[in-house]
Amino acid sequence: MSRLPVLGEPVVLDDVGPPRRGRAYPAVGASAALVLPAALLLGALVLWPVLRTVHASVTTGGHWVGVTHFRAALAAPGTGAVVGRTVLWALLVPAVVTGLGYLLAVASRRSQEGKLVRLILVVPTALPLVVTGVTFRLMYDPDPSRGLATLVAARLTGRTGEDVPQMLGPGLVTVALMSAFVWAWVGLAVLVFRAALDRLPSSLADAVRAYGGTRRHVLWDAQWRPLLLRTVAVVFALVALGTSRTFDLILVMAPGSVRDEAAVLALRVWQTSGGTTTGEGAALGVIWLVAVAAGMLVAALFVRQAWPPPRAAEPDPVAAPPPRPFRLLAAVAAMAWLVPLAVLVATSLHGPVDAAARGWWSTRPSLASYHEVLTGSELWRSLGFTLLLAAGVTATVLVVALLAAYPLAGLTGPAAQATGLLLMIAVVVPVQVIAGPVNEVLGVALSSGTARGLVLVHVALGVPFAVLVLRNAFADLPTDRLRAARLGGRHWWGTLRRLARHCRPAIVAVSVLEFVQVWNDLVVGLLFSGPDSAPLGLFLAGQTRGFVANSGALAAGSVIASMLPALLVVLARRHLVAGLVSGGVR
Amino acid sequence: MTAPGRVSRRTLLAAAAAGTATIATGCSDGGRAVQVAVVWSGGELVPFRAVVAGYGAPVHVVSAGNDIDAFLRARQLAGTSPDVAILPRPGLVLEYARRGWLSPLNPAPGHGVPGSLAGLLRGDDGQRYGVWVKAAHKSLFWHLPSMLPQPPATWDELVLLTRRLAARARRDDGPAPLAIGAADGWVLTDWFENVLADVAPDGYDALAEPAADWQGRPVREALDRLAEIWSIDGAFPGGGRRALLTQYEESVIQVVHTRRAVTVFEGDFADGVARSFRRGPEEPATFRFPGVRPGDGPLIVGGDAAVAFAGSRAGVDLVRWLTDAAAFRPWLRAGGYLSPDVTVEPDGYADPLRQRLAREMRTAGTVRFDLSDRLPGPFTGSDGVGIWPIMQDFFADVTDGVPAAEAIRRTTKQLAAAARDAGGGR
Repeated sequence: MSRLPVLGEPVVLDDVGPPRRGRAYPAVGASAALVLPAALLLGALVLWPVLRTVHASVTTGGHWVGVTHFRAALAAPGTGAVVGRTVLWALLVPAVVTGLGYLLAVASRRSQEGKLVRLILVVPTALPLVVTGVTFRLMYDPDPSRGLATLVAARLTGRTGEDVPQMLGPGLVTVALMSAFVWAWVGLAVLVFRAALDRLPSSLADAVRAYGGTRRHVLWDAQWRPLLLRTVAVVFALVALGTSRTFDLILVMAPGSVRDEAAVLALRVWQTSGGTTTGEGAALGVIWLVAVAAGMLVAALFVRQAWPPPRAAEPDPVAAPPPRPFRLLAAVAAMAWLVPLAVLVATSLHGPVDAAARGWWSTRPSLASYHEVLTGSELWRSLGFTLLLAAGVTATVLVVALLAAYPLAGLTGPAAQATGLLLMIAVVVPVQVIAGPVNEVLGVALSSGTARGLVLVHVALGVPFAVLVLRNAFADLPTDRLRAARLGGRHWWGTLRRLARHCRPAIVAVSVLEFVQVWNDLVVGLLFSGPDSAPLGLFLAGQTRGFVANSGALAAGSVIASMLPALLVVLARRHLVAGLVSGGVR
Repeated sequence: MTAPGRVSRRTLLAAAAAGTATIATGCSDGGRAVQVAVVWSGGELVPFRAVVAGYGAPVHVVSAGNDIDAFLRARQLAGTSPDVAILPRPGLVLEYARRGWLSPLNPAPGHGVPGSLAGLLRGDDGQRYGVWVKAAHKSLFWHLPSMLPQPPATWDELVLLTRRLAARARRDDGPAPLAIGAADGWVLTDWFENVLADVAPDGYDALAEPAADWQGRPVREALDRLAEIWSIDGAFPGGGRRALLTQYEESVIQVVHTRRAVTVFEGDFADGVARSFRRGPEEPATFRFPGVRPGDGPLIVGGDAAVAFAGSRAGVDLVRWLTDAAAFRPWLRAGGYLSPDVTVEPDGYADPLRQRLAREMRTAGTVRFDLSDRLPGPFTGSDGVGIWPIMQDFFADVTDGVPAAEAIRRTTKQLAAAARDAGGGR
């Protein structure tokens, strides 16, 4: 008998909650040894750096100084605005993404064009954030002869190019950044909501209607209370945590003169400390860590909402598609989401001079920019390096996480909750905060060859999430499967292999996400890459120094850099959701 | 936490790390090349690669970007410093030397740089820790001769010209007089330095000292002069707000390609952009930043210095080789390179501009080194940090109609505070 799936609950936040049934099988003998690699990595490259940061925030040269650093950091000009902006990001952007995601998930259900709409929305989620930044900076170029958005605004308002509000100017730069972020993240929300909605038994809605419920009642009793509250909390929390990624966007999109107006804590910590440990930077980092941890706990409270798991609903073949206005909304959204992609591709199809001097709509396309980047050696070098790096890191993370997840899945009660909580915290630690101590650890652990250091940091940052997902996948395996695997395998590794075979969606999800994460990374490369390593994100971000003059080559490089992650995510999108939402396809 | 515990855990980690990493990457070093970290990218990186291709051993060049300081500090902590770094600021060289990160250097015999530059790279112990490998002439205006047949010879003429052209531009009857890449803070500090060197030659070097007075008369007078020209309505294409979103490359494009501006103040390195984006056969020409008296304009020079990190024999050898007059010949011939070495014959330059600039550098009475590059700590400036955003705020104020006196008061106050925070200034 297979255990019934729990309603579309992504595992990540669930793990702080009560232990679930079906975990009560004994851990293997050598469990401590299996957990060791993951524990070492996390201890040395996440836990110790966090403690060291906390320590550095209250000491100078080893002497206790109390709150001096906090006072200095908060008194620095502009810190109040930076904190305020960070909070605004963490509240407003997730709200918008969640709302839009729900609307578009509903609007694109059960219709012919819905599939295409979702496909279009998912592509931006796979792009490196650096590429998103490049795309939106191209669109928002303050010159109406180059920037499409500025041109349209000028036409619509009837003003000259000089008087049109500048999206990249000090007043609106945060709005511009947020729009880029929403564009990149809505697809994820749509996928999660869609998986959740598909899990809703339609009989529940029928029952509400049978008792005379109105449309509002249906929404409330058959959707919101059993499922949506939880999903909303999960999506909101995921996006809120994701807003610490704005760092990449700010570096790429905000011209030097508006850095201050765009700055959030991530940027401020980096500006104060760089790759080193300083008291003030550590103080800002601690404030940030506390805020992130608190936000996570609040989100976890909502996710804990208990509800009896309903049966997995077969998609109702006769269910009607959403009403026409909704379908129209989905179509319009898909068109709007295509515009930035079109701008990027169109710009890349112009030579460097044309792309810098005038709009892509006013000249003939050419392949000169592609020719320039493809004949240079730099792009190839960093593509090759990034491919090796991402593949190596993914394989390592998978092995380390599988080994650790297997024994951890056997834990129950407080032990399971405690490991879940620890892993969650490790997942949400922003890397800028611990950059200094991590560099210190790398200095002790490795004397040379920083490609290795980069691999280690990526692995350490990727392991907690992978362990969480895989542990839950193992724990959710039905007892009969478990028993069969234990009988069939001669050694623990035989059993592990058999079990892993049943967790394929989770493994695919972890692999694809890890690969794409490393491929798309900027911040880890920026903080930890060395002379012998030039990851793709860093390569592209370096070219944004002279944005307009480089825009043709940048756009071409961005298109090339986006192909692989976009392809992977689009192909694996079903697995991604299934793997992340426990109780998925088995 | 006890010390032994820490050691044993770290040892374990090292073992685990080495194991995982070797398996994971498979791209560890074999026959290690000499590593050089540079700030250059794109148009400057390519010819530099051509230069080091002439070295006997393989050299790996890494572009560390604007934040080379953060990059190198992190590398030093991780014990993975490159062999050689080429730094844009003498302040960094001295800072690293003080921390014992660098090897003392001896340039090749015959390497001769102007006296005002050479002293900037000597550590507190009198040893030389860096050598200049590239110079930048930062007192130039660029223009197309057909757009501006008669360049101004004095500051007052420049202001008059700007007023005249701005009035025309306001009527939509011609290009704006000045392009400016105000999105890059260093463009504004270069303006400030030129004006400062002209109005207060005696106060210039004092501002690089620890006890600098940023609220004193020289700074106020220089800012007043900047306000005089920046506040002219119509001076910049698209206005001040737009100029603050214009990067340096784009400001050059506005002069040589789109021709929305007549002149742009920019160092000699602007010719790379000018060449890529030139329209038609006309070559852009230059004139010196005009001073109060004709023919007596300021001469501000920037430069890049090579350093070798401690313990790297290969690095010391490479730096010494770089100071050989012959080493940079490929870049000299490719154009876009000005040597700090005044023994390099001006005739050796392929491009006539560099030839002229090299002569100017030889004959100039006083060559002053870029002030902002000598400022302590974060005050030296980068995007959103130090003197850069302060100058950008000043620019935003004066182009937005804030009275000059008020803008100057705000700016000097900010400058003094920033200098104090960075451990300099009164």
